[in-house]
Amino acid sequence: MTLEAGELHERDHEGFLSEVHSFEFWFQSVEGYLHGHPHGVSPSTPFPELAPDRRAALVATLSTYCVGELTALEGASGMIGFAPNRATKIFLATQVADEARHLEVLLHRLAELGVEDAEAGFEARANRHLMAFRERLLAYVVEKDWLAALFAQNVILEAMEFAAFQTHLRTADARTAELLGGVLKDERRHIGFGENALGRHLASHPDDRRRLREVRQSLEPLVFATFEDAALQVGLPAAERPEIARLYLDSVARLGLGT
Amino acid sequence: MLDARTAYSIQYWLESCPQGYLLHTEFGHERGAREPGFVLENPVVREEAIGTTVQLVVGERAALAASSGLINAAPDAASKAFLATQTLDEARHVEIFTQRLFDLGVKRDELESTIAHHANPHLVRFAEILLEKVDKKDFVAGVVGQNIVLEGLAFSTFEMMQAANRDTNPKFARTLSGTIADERRHVGFGENRIGSLLREQPGKKPEIERMQKDMAYHMLATLADRFRGQSAAMQEARRAIEEQASHGGPTPRSHVWHGTDLSKAEPREMEAVLAETVLKEFKTRLARIGLDYQSPERP
Repeated sequence: MTLEAGELHERDHEGFLSEVHSFEFWFQSVEGYLHGHPHGVSPSTPFPELAPDRRAALVATLSTYCVGELTALEGASGMIGFAPNRATKIFLATQVADEARHLEVLLHRLAELGVEDAEAGFEARANRHLMAFRERLLAYVVEKDWLAALFAQNVILEAMEFAAFQTHLRTADARTAELLGGVLKDERRHIGFGENALGRHLASHPDDRRRLREVRQSLEPLVFATFEDAALQVGLPAAERPEIARLYLDSVARLGLGT
Repeated sequence: MLDARTAYSIQYWLESCPQGYLLHTEFGHERGAREPGFVLENPVVREEAIGTTVQLVVGERAALAASSGLINAAPDAASKAFLATQTLDEARHVEIFTQRLFDLGVKRDELESTIAHHANPHLVRFAEILLEKVDKKDFVAGVVGQNIVLEGLAFSTFEMMQAANRDTNPKFARTLSGTIADERRHVGFGENRIGSLLREQPGKKPEIERMQKDMAYHMLATLADRFRGQSAAMQEARRAIEEQASHGGPTPRSHVWHGTDLSKAEPREMEAVLAETVLKEFKTRLARIGLDYQSPERP
């Protein structure tokens, strides 16, 4: 059973919490697409031959994704300590396992591509704008700033990853595409959680919109710069590049946080 | 044999835990299983079950905070991945023991007040000592406190409770058996990963041994409080079990755990066997990672 983001948004608050903030729900959600898919890929999916320049671009892109997932892992785990209630802590714990899995499957794919000791080198190969984003997000976590950390982590970062992976799927080889497809299903849950939690908070604390707009304005240049570099690396045609930003902006717009 | 990197991976955890021994369970037990009548219908036994379960929730909440808080301090991706699986294990334990409180009749809006009422102050202090290390991002001390001391306590406590409930409360016993399997992994990680780090940082040993001594004191004090105050409830539970057996319910059999028959032992004997077992395990595990066990004062 996998719920689409739209379905999650239609649930009432109590129904949403009781359904999605549990180990039980998490396992029901992931089992369908992870069972029989070690490291996120079916064993029968062929290993494609990649031209050297395409392979190099893919290694750089996957390294950037690794930084995104490491950031999400460190962000989500750090937020458990100051999450406002038990259900939120449990949801974040499921997200921690998801993010660690994403990092693991990406490192595994890098190893398949012939990268030696992928873990040791991915930060050096990753996009510098995303590295700067990571620093800002983890600063919110260290400050135990729940609202800013949740927005930066579960809306901006997750929406950024969702948009990048969704776009990359169009040009990806079969193994990378299958791996990203599973990751995307997790990201939908994470974004749904972030939007629901923040949307309800903003409904009762409308003044906090201004604070979140400030967070958005401070992080967005890094988001768009990362997109620009990623679009070039995955070979996205120029005409289609605005699409990656639109996918991201849709998520932010749902919270009514227009610039 | 699995190498350490594989054994710490999400993939290994997925296949062994949720796709392994937790498959076809809900909240850690067989689907549809219920607490037995002698627990739900006897107010003394039910209250004792709530008090015991609250201590489990308090311990697991501390473990959740500690394992998640240590991820950012972990020195490599394999340790981060393992701690991510442990974070979700601990969250599951919080969930299943909280669910047991609901199954025992605690109302959802009374959960926090019930926990505050029953939480043993020594167990709360035990958790605080650990979380002070986690807050300082002290990975080595945090993992010793979490994966050797706290998990070692949980492992032996759950084993004893599982043995005592096997015949008379299969629902709770099944819940415990899944958590025991998890704790075994967590303790193994603590021993394997920390031994090498401690050899690189021998100067940390005195501070960590002090932490272990403080945590061991509060652990012993918690056990003393729990067992010494439960004599009447334990007798009432045994009487209720026998009464249920006389009406066709499960017949309690003797369960000898580390030389003590749990179906007949006095609370002081049970306290003694659990404390001795936990401390013996501490000594063995601490010695494996190069630490000397520090004996606390007896509460």
